[in-house]
Amino acid sequence: MEQPLYLIPLFPLIGFLLNGLLLGRLGKKTISFIACTSVGLSFLFGLKFFFDLLSLPDTARIIENVFFTWIPAGQFHVNVAFLLDPLSAVMVLVVSGVSFIIHIYSIGYMHDDAGYGRYFTYLNLFVFSMLMLVLADNYLLMFVGWEGVGLCSYLLIGFWFEKKSASDAGKKAFIVNRIGDFGFLLGMFIIFWQTGSLDFKTALDPAVAHSVFAVGGGMITAATLLMFLGATGKSAQIPLYVWLPDAMEGPTPVSALIHAATMVTAGVYMIARSNVLYMMAPATMAVVAIVGVATAIFAGSIALAQNDIKRVLAYSTVSQLGYMFTACGVAAFSAGIFHLMTHAFFKALLFLGSGSVIHAMAGQQDMRYMGGLKKRMPITFWTFLIATLAITGIPGLSGFFSKDEILWKSFSSDYGSIWIWLIGLITAGMTAFYMFRLVFLTFYGEERMDSHTREHLHESPKVMTVPLSILAVLSVIGGYVGIPHILGGDNRFEKFLEPVMKGVHHSVEGEHALASAAHNGSTELILMVGSVVLVAVFIYLAYHFYIKNIAAAGKLRQRFSGLHKIIYGKYFVDELYNAVIVQPLVVGSKFLWKIFDVLIIDGFINGMAVIIGDMSTGLRPAQSGILRTYTTIFLVGVIVILGIVLIFG
Amino acid sequence: MIPIGHFLILSAMLFAVGAAGVIISRNLLIMLMSIELMLNAANLAIIAFSRMNNIVDGHVFVFIVFAVAAAEAAVGLAIIIMIFRNRESINADNFSLLKR
Amino acid sequence: MPDYNLRLIIPEIFLFLWALFIIAFDLGTKRKNPKLIGYLTMGGIAATAVLLYLYHGGISFNNMFKSDPLALFFKVIFLGSAFMAVGSSFDIIAQKIKNHRGEFFGLVLFSTVGMMFLASAGELISLYIGLELTTIPLFILAAYYKDDRISVEAGLKYLVIGAFSSAILLYGLSLLYGLSGTTDIVMMKINLALLYLNTNGIGWALLMAIVMVLAGIGFKLALVPFHMWAPDVYQGAPTPITALLSVGSKAAGVVAFMRIFIDGLYGFADAVMFPLDWGNIVAVLAAAAMILGNISALRQKNIKRMLAYSSIAQIGYVMVGMVAVSELGVGSVGYYMFIYLFANMGAFAVATIFNDNTGSDSIASYAGLSKSSPMISAFMAIFLLSLAGIPPLAGFAAKFFVFAAGIQAGYTWLVILALLTAVVSLYYYANVIKMMYFAPDNPTIKLNTPLSANIVLIIGVAGLIIFGVYPEPILNFALDTARVFGF
Repeated sequence: MEQPLYLIPLFPLIGFLLNGLLLGRLGKKTISFIACTSVGLSFLFGLKFFFDLLSLPDTARIIENVFFTWIPAGQFHVNVAFLLDPLSAVMVLVVSGVSFIIHIYSIGYMHDDAGYGRYFTYLNLFVFSMLMLVLADNYLLMFVGWEGVGLCSYLLIGFWFEKKSASDAGKKAFIVNRIGDFGFLLGMFIIFWQTGSLDFKTALDPAVAHSVFAVGGGMITAATLLMFLGATGKSAQIPLYVWLPDAMEGPTPVSALIHAATMVTAGVYMIARSNVLYMMAPATMAVVAIVGVATAIFAGSIALAQNDIKRVLAYSTVSQLGYMFTACGVAAFSAGIFHLMTHAFFKALLFLGSGSVIHAMAGQQDMRYMGGLKKRMPITFWTFLIATLAITGIPGLSGFFSKDEILWKSFSSDYGSIWIWLIGLITAGMTAFYMFRLVFLTFYGEERMDSHTREHLHESPKVMTVPLSILAVLSVIGGYVGIPHILGGDNRFEKFLEPVMKGVHHSVEGEHALASAAHNGSTELILMVGSVVLVAVFIYLAYHFYIKNIAAAGKLRQRFSGLHKIIYGKYFVDELYNAVIVQPLVVGSKFLWKIFDVLIIDGFINGMAVIIGDMSTGLRPAQSGILRTYTTIFLVGVIVILGIVLIFG
Repeated sequence: MIPIGHFLILSAMLFAVGAAGVIISRNLLIMLMSIELMLNAANLAIIAFSRMNNIVDGHVFVFIVFAVAAAEAAVGLAIIIMIFRNRESINADNFSLLKR
Repeated sequence: MPDYNLRLIIPEIFLFLWALFIIAFDLGTKRKNPKLIGYLTMGGIAATAVLLYLYHGGISFNNMFKSDPLALFFKVIFLGSAFMAVGSSFDIIAQKIKNHRGEFFGLVLFSTVGMMFLASAGELISLYIGLELTTIPLFILAAYYKDDRISVEAGLKYLVIGAFSSAILLYGLSLLYGLSGTTDIVMMKINLALLYLNTNGIGWALLMAIVMVLAGIGFKLALVPFHMWAPDVYQGAPTPITALLSVGSKAAGVVAFMRIFIDGLYGFADAVMFPLDWGNIVAVLAAAAMILGNISALRQKNIKRMLAYSSIAQIGYVMVGMVAVSELGVGSVGYYMFIYLFANMGAFAVATIFNDNTGSDSIASYAGLSKSSPMISAFMAIFLLSLAGIPPLAGFAAKFFVFAAGIQAGYTWLVILALLTAVVSLYYYANVIKMMYFAPDNPTIKLNTPLSANIVLIIGVAGLIIFGVYPEPILNFALDTARVFGF
């Protein structure tokens, strides 16, 4: 089916051009009107084409739109063409929908900023690039969007460039991403070289792929691994995740949109899109799963001890992205995309909520100076709580369904293992702990801010709270499109994506048969209950240490001089807890952050810069400025080349 | 008739002397003259080959190289005069404002 | 049968006469009208382009002059670079060059005529003349600020190394001539192959000839290790001349390389492959150029010097396509040079404008430029991002094609290295952008640009965006040039 899909990315492009070319000549109202309307329109068109897609029979759900021939060089036939299939439809709706909500929110958040126009210009360019990325029908066009979102991310992280840390973070993000892009490009070259095409239709056709690649062969493994390197860069996985925590230097809505909901999930999208190729490279799948789950637990444990509210959320994002890659690695691509979608809702909400808090706190991001905000900002609090419940996987909210699906698949899939499941489970516990720690420190307890800030505490304006509420609703209901069989649903989400996942052999029917088998069914239920119980325990622990124990500790201090110390021996239990569980966690987490994150990974990247810089210095003496040195090097060059040619030629 | 080898050896020697002159000499004028020597070494080789192959293209080539060499020398001397005016030196090692 | 088809060299003759006219006109009007002669020069270049369109296609003077698609394609690049160089030098002419303004433009045109002859050269003599006619006016132009010690030093260095390399090239040509007994490049290939078949081996004399020719052309290309002059000369020469050196003169080197190495020293039409695989030598040199150029550029504080090292690296990327020696290889090299024209001329035009207004070339002084001159900063960002190869700007497509050609020809290691060094290159391009956009305020002067420079900038940006999004016309044109070599 042919439809004018180009309309979807067209409007943000128009918005970008209008705002960009008339920068400084438009009023704030006009700017935000242009920006929001353009994204809103592309959401509406996305919706329209989505329903067009639904009206087609299951197997023929593809809408194409060849815009024009981009590169026509003989074998190199690449079109600027768009493709809407179930996978890209999900992505388009998530991207344009969440973007629209965040655009609205930004009107309030950025209201007093001097770079208002510039901000919306970049944001529109971002939406355009992201839509190009997900709608592209070939790798090359996808790469254009891929680089475009990277550029916008760079511009927006460094948005407040008066802060040196901000402009440095922007540059770091750009350069780390380029390392990933190098992998992506090289993988792309290999695919082109072998299949002769970069179109998804040809290159990702199982028949074509099987005719040129041997399953598990070196070429396919290399290609998929290189593309995975690209994904680790964009989606902040080990070892290229370092830029994401620093990216929090940008405005908070940007963190919500680019560094949580949309751009960072591009890597997951790319792998899910290439599932045909990945399924042919079991070694790569194992790498993806291991890197994913390692990133999940690693970033989760770092989040445990961070005090900056946005940093907790940043590491949490890295950790959740790890889940998505785990899903891809165990061949549960739809589960990964499912989590991508629900995560977009609740993580965007968490960031926007934290933005609302930071807004009220006049820029303060340290949770140690917050507390008690529950009464002051009720809407922010309740929506934030809903998102927290969703991310921790409380039954009934969206995060539960998607996370549970991933855990179950990592346990049951042929590609999974009990270890991956176990690590995923522990990460879920950690998630519950650090998220509730965040909630308790921010919204409960005594108000630890200075009096000046306290007087100015206020709930955010409607233009910010309404987006929060919409996202809260989505965070609750977003999961109901994919209720697993075991809970009486029929996982419509997975079924919907089925036509795209051509590489995954077993069909939904087979899965259904598998799930309905009594033994597996009970296993799945037991695992599900187990994870819920674990999450509940960790929430209680957070409660214990950050609400109950803080008060208790206060009392303890009061009576420390008294003789009743031993009677209140139960505090020793607390201390024991503290010593055995909390302190090791905190210390371990800090250790990981300080040693691994800051020293090794950061150090490696900076070290590379230094080494290259030293090489640069080392090359300088030759360039002495003295003419005779130059002529000598010239002649020596001739003689050396001649010598080599005469010897080897 | 003198065999072709003799011409070629002479031309190679002239070329080597010229190249060495460019590298060793500090004096810009000598550098320029050494380059002329290299060009003439090539000319000699071309003429020798031309006679060996019995075709006259080579003669034309050499006349044109003469013209080019003259142009190069003219421009070269002009630049050397300019740099002498600016720096009061024609020692090539003295000019290293531009480096690194 | 000798054929003297004068129609084919009408564009060159016209441009040559126009250069004389410009000089005479400047003298005749007592050097009162710098702007007018500038516009006249630009008009002359545009008129030459029209003539080129009217009179092309064919061979004249017994193969000495070939007006084939390859020549046509590169002549467009030469005229474009001359046009943009002239357009961005109006302020320099008004401010820094009090006398000899007509000669400045005249010499630019002479050099362009040289490049055009070079592109059409079908045999060694016309190739050598073209090369020298290109270079000698540039010696003078590099030293054009007579009282500026840096400029004169740049001219001197360019002159000595240029003449030195030209002598080495000539010696190499003399050996080629001696071994093949002809100056016609295609005949030369046949004779050399016969020689190879008869003597059953490749003689040391031929190897020596090839290396010496490589050195001579390597000088024009600023290919490592024949690049040493480039940073110094680029920094010292007047900026528009630097731009001409880095684009026009370099493209002339590229076309000369193609004429000699692909046409003359490579296998002929499906028959015997030429015995010497110069591809590997050039690939190693290209690798060295990419590494050295990119790494040296990191530490530069002067924008012209940074761009000089960047252009050393860029020629490394061009050579990736060259060593592929295929339809895509030749086409991608042409496309790359065409795009490079827009990006590099544009970047140097901004550097010129900036220097005219502030008198500085240091990268640090670009701090906060986006505040005072948002348009020019945006243009500069586009030029640099294109040089770095960020899609959808045309520089990305250009890199993509040369790398694809390299992969196709089996130079995988070279492409991997190219991609890696491209990552490094981003660092220094981004550094300038960071300065302009993300550096704390620095009340720089608002840049005033003459109309002509604005035209140059707009051509550059439009070229990068249009041909990035829609490369078809240029790419087809570039692939067409490969037919010349029978691919």
